[in-house]
Amino acid sequence: MKRIYLGTLYLLYFVCNNNGFSQGFQVNFQGQRQQGMGLAGTAAPFDGSSLFFNPGSSVFLNQNSIVGGVTPVFGNVLFIDSATNAPYRSTSPVGTPFSFYAMFQLKPAGKLKMGLSVNTPFGSTVQYEDNWIGRFALTRLELKAIFIQPTFAYRIADQFGIGGGFVISSGNVNLQKDIPVQDTNGVYGHAELAGKAIGFGYNIGIHFTPSKQLSIGLTYRSKVAMNLRDGEATFTVPSSLEDKFPATSFTGRLPLPSVTTLGFSYHPCNAFTVVLDINRVGWKVYDTLAFDYATNTSSLADTKSPRLYKNILAFRLGMEVKPTKSLSLRLGGGYGLTPVQSGYVSPETPDGIRIYGTFGLGYELSQKIRIDASVYYTKIKRSDTNLETNMSGTYTTIALAPGLSISYKW
Amino acid sequence: MVKRNSFYKQLFLVCLCGIALSSCKPKEKLSPNSPGEINLQQFVAIGDGNTAGYMDDALYQYGQQNSLGAILQTQLQLVGAGEIYLPLMGSANIGTNSSFLSKLILGYKTDCLGGIGLSPVRYAQQGEVASLTTSVYSSQNKYSNFGVPGLRMIDLVSTALGNINLPQHNAFFARMSKDQFTWPVWSGDWSSVQENIFDGGYPTFCSIYLGIEDVLPYAKSGATANPMTPLLGLPGIGFEESLIQLSEQLYSQNIKAVVGTIPDITQMPYFTTIPYNGLNLDEANAASLNQIYGPLGFSFTVGSNSFMIEDPAAGAFGVRPMVEGELILLSAPLDSIKCHQYGSVYPLRDEFVLTLAELQEIRNQILAYNQVIRQHSNFYGFAIAETADFYKKLNDGFVYNGVTMSAKFVSGGAYSLDGIHLNPKGNALLANVFITAINKTFKATIPLANALFYSSTYFP
Repeated sequence: MKRIYLGTLYLLYFVCNNNGFSQGFQVNFQGQRQQGMGLAGTAAPFDGSSLFFNPGSSVFLNQNSIVGGVTPVFGNVLFIDSATNAPYRSTSPVGTPFSFYAMFQLKPAGKLKMGLSVNTPFGSTVQYEDNWIGRFALTRLELKAIFIQPTFAYRIADQFGIGGGFVISSGNVNLQKDIPVQDTNGVYGHAELAGKAIGFGYNIGIHFTPSKQLSIGLTYRSKVAMNLRDGEATFTVPSSLEDKFPATSFTGRLPLPSVTTLGFSYHPCNAFTVVLDINRVGWKVYDTLAFDYATNTSSLADTKSPRLYKNILAFRLGMEVKPTKSLSLRLGGGYGLTPVQSGYVSPETPDGIRIYGTFGLGYELSQKIRIDASVYYTKIKRSDTNLETNMSGTYTTIALAPGLSISYKW
Repeated sequence: MVKRNSFYKQLFLVCLCGIALSSCKPKEKLSPNSPGEINLQQFVAIGDGNTAGYMDDALYQYGQQNSLGAILQTQLQLVGAGEIYLPLMGSANIGTNSSFLSKLILGYKTDCLGGIGLSPVRYAQQGEVASLTTSVYSSQNKYSNFGVPGLRMIDLVSTALGNINLPQHNAFFARMSKDQFTWPVWSGDWSSVQENIFDGGYPTFCSIYLGIEDVLPYAKSGATANPMTPLLGLPGIGFEESLIQLSEQLYSQNIKAVVGTIPDITQMPYFTTIPYNGLNLDEANAASLNQIYGPLGFSFTVGSNSFMIEDPAAGAFGVRPMVEGELILLSAPLDSIKCHQYGSVYPLRDEFVLTLAELQEIRNQILAYNQVIRQHSNFYGFAIAETADFYKKLNDGFVYNGVTMSAKFVSGGAYSLDGIHLNPKGNALLANVFITAINKTFKATIPLANALFYSSTYFP
């Protein structure tokens, strides 16, 4: 009991401060078992996290269950400016993607399953040290989105299940940067754009088990257009320029991409499972980051920054062994292409091709309670000259994400 | 059993936290900095007000510390250059120009129409007179910056420049000269800038940025006074021979150098801020001007019109409207233009205007200087900093690490309030042109300056 209490506290403590150190600002920490196996598991139903990974697979789990998990992300970015050969670092807070799942069936081994998934598949908080060379491009960006997804799943046949859920995404954006005008003390101006956003989408999946050893899953999580309305833009500038930088409301739009996944699970014997997921992420929807200010002046025009992200593929591979009935050991890794094209790498998502490794373990404390933990590590290096800001240098990002979840089933 | 597992789990988490804290930060692998083929033991910056840090129409301490020379040396210090010694003005940062006026700052000014707006205003009633009349020479610490506001290429060997008894002396030089305002009996001649540079040992590396002042005073007079330095003539008279003698001196001592070409000064905000067709007329004004100038064949319309200027070559009355491409200087009396029909009923005087012919003359001279600079720098193996390219880029506008820089007066971010000299940020960008040239020619890897570290004009 004490452990559950601690876990809950842990969850509450970090509330919902996401941090995306994954492709773009996608966060792939939605289940500890999958995180242990290279972030794969679309074809391997496990617990309530299946509601997210593949709603169609959840009907193959004969249980009612609740799962809660959190994955603190320790991420650090180092930027070395090529012209001045000087290093600058991020001072981002610890990110805390979390997930919560509740899954119910009307009767044991029933064909219908209902569930609720609450998690954070997108988000990012990145902040850079004071006076860094990119301060006029970005000093801090906070993107938060919580996906709430009520889900239904139905087992059509013994080998075949489908499921789907409706996604309500609630989020907020806070973007800050300095303005290159100085007051009489030499202090630069500052801009802060803050707003709430809401978006809708869906998540569907099918699960097929052609043989006892093999499962195949196919899912589609739709894009979610996060619409920002009545954002507040505030500017701190020298008093003589205040009329040129009025406080104003603004609107904007942040599209979160669709994710299509084809997954395989191979299960030759009880103690061994191999999983493979192939993701296609529809990042192409992130074409422009635009802010439309209600009040425009000669110094404050609407902005349209090209992002021109492209669709990407990611490959995730993992395995699990069970040396004892209650212990699981997991290992995995992955390779993901980057949606950010050359010329468009920016401090907000210093993204690049990534290779990562994960491991994890799970332990069944009793018939009803189990704990799963995982660790994710990646290092990404990307050199670029941004076409909009002319910032030129190399970003090195290291992210380490140890996660923990507790589940209860009956 | 459960207890033991819980212990391991806790141990596991503690380990994770340990790893998280230690292995999470990317290591800095900076590429090595190298001076390449140059020796920076004794660096000296030679030049005019740009090198000295003259800005906002005055020489003042903060400007000196953020001069082209000082910023360049700050970067060179990363590969072995010594301490920066500047002939500092007073720490109160009042500053002075040669007419004893203080620096300009951005302040509020009421114009003749009663409108209050941001405008360059003098910081104090009077400039730092005392700083110009007090010698700051020190035999201990030789200056690493021989930037002298107003210094022309032909002034390097002049024995008149430091002679305070002569009206043509340069007070900015006299205060730092080893003569210390006193006639040197032992030599008979007042010492030149060049003598001061070589005094007590030759430098090992120089930056040379001279030539702007050989044309600028002429341009600032609206091409009415202060003739440009001729290309030909002996050292002290002609531009080319003056450059050659300095280059020879350096070359004979095996001293390497980086030499700057000269920008097209007529594209500086001092010359480009007031548009030639900024005469905005309503119906009544247009009608009355049509009455005045109609007989001469000039007509005016409601809206924007060309200013009227004096031009002796223009017909019997010596008056004509400006044509596109011609420039009005920032010295033109703006209140008279706004409220007293100056530039319309009363034509702008020649001294406030550069005509197409005058502009051609000035630009041709700059091209000729630059050709000479390139030719001899190549010959002596000096690096060439193409400042002209940089100023042109500034004119077109460019984005530097997210900041838009342009040649716009005040808002462009690079020029100081005199519209001619760069502000610290501009100086840093200019210094980078010199560093880039050094790196290329002498196979050095000297990091460029972070221009965002340096300030622009302060707004109240």
